[in-house]
Amino acid sequence: MRPFKYVRASDAAAAARAVAANPRAKFLGGGTNILDLMKEDVERPNELVDVTRLKLSEIKAASGGVSIGALAKNSDTANHPLIRRNYPLLTQAIVAGASGQLRNMATNGGNLLQRTRCQYFYDTAMPCNKREPGTGCGALEGLNRIHAIFGWSDKCVATYPGDMANALYALDAVVRVRGASGRERAIPVGEFHRLPGDTPQQDSNLAHGELITAIDLPKSNFAKNSYYLKVRDRASYAFALVSVAAALELERGRVKQARVVLGSVAHKPWRSLEAEAALVGGPASEESFRRAAEAALAGAKPLAHNGYKVELGKRAVVRALMRASRLA
Amino acid sequence: MLTEIVGKPVPRKEGRSKVTGAARYVDDLRMPGMLYGATVRSPVARGRIRSVTFGEGVPWDEFVVVTAKDIPGENAVALILLDQPYLASEFVNHAEEPILLLAHADKQLLERARRAVHVDIEPLPAVFTLADSLARTQTIWGEDNIFKSYLVDKGNVDEVWAQADLVVEGEYSTGAQEQLYIETNGVIAVANAEEGVTVWGSMQCPYYVHKALLKLFALPPERVRVVQCETGGGFGGKEEYPSMIGGHAALLSWKAGGRPVKIIYDRAEDMVATTKRHPSLTRHRTAVSRDGRLLGMEIEFVVDGGAYATLSAVVLSRGTIHAAGPYNCPNVRIRSRAVATNVPPHGAFRGFGAPQSIFALERQMDKVAAAVGLSPAEFRRRNFIRQGETTATGQVIREPVDMAGLLDRAFELTDYQAKRERFARENAAVGAGGVKRGIGFASFMHGAGFTGSGEDYLKSIVGAEADASGRVRILAASTEIGQGTNTIFAQIASDALGLNYDLVEMAQPDTGNVPDSGPTVASRTCMIVGRLVESAALGLRQTLQGAGLLADEYTEGDWREACRQYVERYGALKSFSQYKPPPGVRWDDEKYEGDAYGAFAWAVYVAEVSVDTLTYETRVDDFVAVQEVGKVVHPILAAGQIEGGVAQAIGFTLYENVVWQDGRMVNNGMTNYVMPTSVDLPPIRVHFEEQPYEYGPAGGAKGIGELPMDGGAPAILNAIEQATGVSFTHVPLMPEALMRGLSETT
Ligand SMILES: Cc1cc2nc3c(=O)[nH]c(=O)nc-3n(C[C@H](O)[C@H](O)[C@H](O)COP(=O)(O)OP(=O)(O)OC[C@H]3O[C@@H](n4cnc5c(N)ncnc54)[C@H](O)[C@@H]3O)c2cc1C
Ligand code: SF4
Repeated sequence: MRPFKYVRASDAAAAARAVAANPRAKFLGGGTNILDLMKEDVERPNELVDVTRLKLSEIKAASGGVSIGALAKNSDTANHPLIRRNYPLLTQAIVAGASGQLRNMATNGGNLLQRTRCQYFYDTAMPCNKREPGTGCGALEGLNRIHAIFGWSDKCVATYPGDMANALYALDAVVRVRGASGRERAIPVGEFHRLPGDTPQQDSNLAHGELITAIDLPKSNFAKNSYYLKVRDRASYAFALVSVAAALELERGRVKQARVVLGSVAHKPWRSLEAEAALVGGPASEESFRRAAEAALAGAKPLAHNGYKVELGKRAVVRALMRASRLA
Repeated sequence: MLTEIVGKPVPRKEGRSKVTGAARYVDDLRMPGMLYGATVRSPVARGRIRSVTFGEGVPWDEFVVVTAKDIPGENAVALILLDQPYLASEFVNHAEEPILLLAHADKQLLERARRAVHVDIEPLPAVFTLADSLARTQTIWGEDNIFKSYLVDKGNVDEVWAQADLVVEGEYSTGAQEQLYIETNGVIAVANAEEGVTVWGSMQCPYYVHKALLKLFALPPERVRVVQCETGGGFGGKEEYPSMIGGHAALLSWKAGGRPVKIIYDRAEDMVATTKRHPSLTRHRTAVSRDGRLLGMEIEFVVDGGAYATLSAVVLSRGTIHAAGPYNCPNVRIRSRAVATNVPPHGAFRGFGAPQSIFALERQMDKVAAAVGLSPAEFRRRNFIRQGETTATGQVIREPVDMAGLLDRAFELTDYQAKRERFARENAAVGAGGVKRGIGFASFMHGAGFTGSGEDYLKSIVGAEADASGRVRILAASTEIGQGTNTIFAQIASDALGLNYDLVEMAQPDTGNVPDSGPTVASRTCMIVGRLVESAALGLRQTLQGAGLLADEYTEGDWREACRQYVERYGALKSFSQYKPPPGVRWDDEKYEGDAYGAFAWAVYVAEVSVDTLTYETRVDDFVAVQEVGKVVHPILAAGQIEGGVAQAIGFTLYENVVWQDGRMVNNGMTNYVMPTSVDLPPIRVHFEEQPYEYGPAGGAKGIGELPMDGGAPAILNAIEQATGVSFTHVPLMPEALMRGLSETT
């Protein structure tokens, strides 16, 4: 690992200022992602601003919903009674990720900003536009089994690998951030991550130095009928090949409201408005779910090695909806 | 005399130091003035080296740089043939082939320098598959791309086809597999013209490294010393490769005037550059009678050896001999070949060719059973080998063997018949996209020790010494790599002498201090070397008794007193024992005929699976391993060997997929080379039957290290066949392949 400066921030404002002042500084949450990347020489910050002592780890009821501190641990978030009761989809998504030990360390802010698992991003001997803009994309011609089937560009075909954000998107969550100037913004989760376009080095729409302070969840009618399905190569320590956050509000067997968000298929959590439109007003039935699944994957553009994700994605959508509506 | 220690789960000799962190692995060692070494490797699979240039921005004068020109002796890794260079000088034959070595005290700078070396190579057309190598699309090794071939011929296969009621053909293949020991390859070397060469490292076979260094430096044996440090796993992956990395570190140290040089691979380098299991392709043609008797088997077995010969000849040998399995068949012909491709050499990995040929055989037996209308179990019962019958090489099975009994036991433990019927019923009612279940098994054997005349050729030696306080030390080059060598040797020696377990210890494997007890491979450590430990230990007692210092019956106090007096009067008390083949063993290397192994372990493994036909996820839900292994020396360690081997076999079958691109492994990380975790594994239920082997140590132990790697893949695919109705013929069976296979049939 390269030498770097370590700073412990005393308050949110100072933390944001410290990072904003140095283009090569980064925030340090649980460190479960950024430290690995530094050890692999993929990220090379020369300063880490530790934000874990900031008082931003509370999980509390707020304006009908819940506000989750950015520094609350993944485990504490998943196990919090308010979350378990009102947002079981979020609990399911968090515990589907990583391992118990990692979730005990990982923070919600860090989880949102975890970086892609594209193997060429990690392999510093290979070209990668995300790691070193302009060098090319190793995955485009290389092995792209785990890569995107939606929204990729010829500069980058990586996926956002996280689980938690998919559930947050389905639950209409909003990310609260605070800039160096003290300005606060609220970014809907769906607009938090971005597509790679010509600038894949940029994972999210955060400005340098903006600190995530909280994630707000509005009151939800999905608690009864939601399901997070994660399909992966093994049962632990594996990212999703495809995941689906499905949430339904049912009224006498018909779908009143629906959310279908796919994970690990694009550079950001991928919500399918087409699938949702196909569901709303229809019955909660396997046949209707199949139509929704077809709609969800209709626009997919697979790469050389990930064609399976299209069929798998459809099947995963059907199963997630079946489980959400308790038909399977 | 004390009660017996063999058969009891005594604490592991090095267990405490490992648990407390006191155990020293090579990366824990630091020496004054130590440098770090790095390897510059070929970016292409095959080509001619045009030039090597050193980029700007690196203080090159601070670096130790070694090329092929700096090699004092022969530029070849001495193993079986001398075809593999330590450093490529003119041609490269596989991606990641070492070309140049660098050393510096600053690791960061070293890594920067490694990247700043530019090797310009004119690419030549390469061969990446078995089929292309056999077809000789390019000749890349020798005259015909063939490292080695064998022919086993029993009876007369050619005459059998005409009489057979049925002839069944099948083709099967297996992929590469990475050993994935926890500790990556690593060494430290100190080498100069005055003091000779010393290498410390993580390894299975100190004397292999020793032999290789003699050639590399053109030094006499006493000037080279190799010491094994605590080693975090091997599985075959540290059988031949330490000779390479050990030589590299020694070359750097030599050039640096004797400053210590440490090379530790990171995971990515270890996975991309070192050995893996040989991929294989097997074709079967089987003649059977209508009542399900095997009449003839013709087997063609090919393994991909990679770019250099390394151990392919012996991997092929074991695969060949196991290719016809524990069945009685009068006419067998096995033709086998190890061929060259332009990928990093494939090497030793638990099972050593046998898991590959046994996979093919067991899948074929299922197919033949179906063709004659018998259940897989009934078909096997009619053909299991029995005492007095002969294997494919004509080896008469002299010991009692009861494969049918093992099958019964395995079925009883798993409720096999009832489950098979229940799953068949339930699967019929499962709708599209549901979860289907299956149960399947495989029956097999695994020979312990070197093949044929191998042990006779090795002539291994073990020593034992006792000091004046009566403490006994075993002198052997057999290594503890996590499997329990230290513990079982101490058990065997203490029982032989009737001494307390704590009174016996193992010397560190150090070629400067221990004799060559042969490599730690081939399931030979317990059965072959253990027997030598026993007789070397008994030699101490004989010496004391011969000197009149010890009576026939003695206490530990008598022993200590006898040792004290002996050492006082005569000096060091030592005894050595050398391997001698058991009487009546006969092997013909030309015809590949005769007694291939001193003893076989016999086994039946049963796997239960569920296949999610929506997501194509397969889970092994239950696994029962029943085996006859002679005397069990240490029940926990023995069960641990089986559990670990089964876990590795499950990885080989369903998870571990080496993805190649232009001859390079592209998923060389633990995130995308997926090995199963404990959460993915079923309960592995281990049952031993004990049928003492006359020439085994401690009342008749046989080898078990490799056995558990053999049965998992065919048992699981047999179970998947029941669940899905599709017979798959390739492992690893990835979800994508399952998807293709299932959609083709529905
Ligand atoms: C072996 C392994 C398996 C895993 N499996 C999964 C999985 O299956 N599913 C899954 O979803 N995840 C998985 N993960 C990822 C894991 O969830 C993340 O590493 C973790 O959530 C990151 O949180 P952290 O607090 O440790 O972040 P850090 O590593 O501390 O930081 C990550 C990034 O976020 C930035 N950051 C941190 N906090 C803030 C803040 N408050 N404001 C602004 N920026 C901030 C940092 O600067 C850094 O760039 C896995 C990780 C590992 C190591
Ligand atoms: S997909 Fe993106 S992250 Fe992966 S190599 Fe290409 S640019 Fe880099």
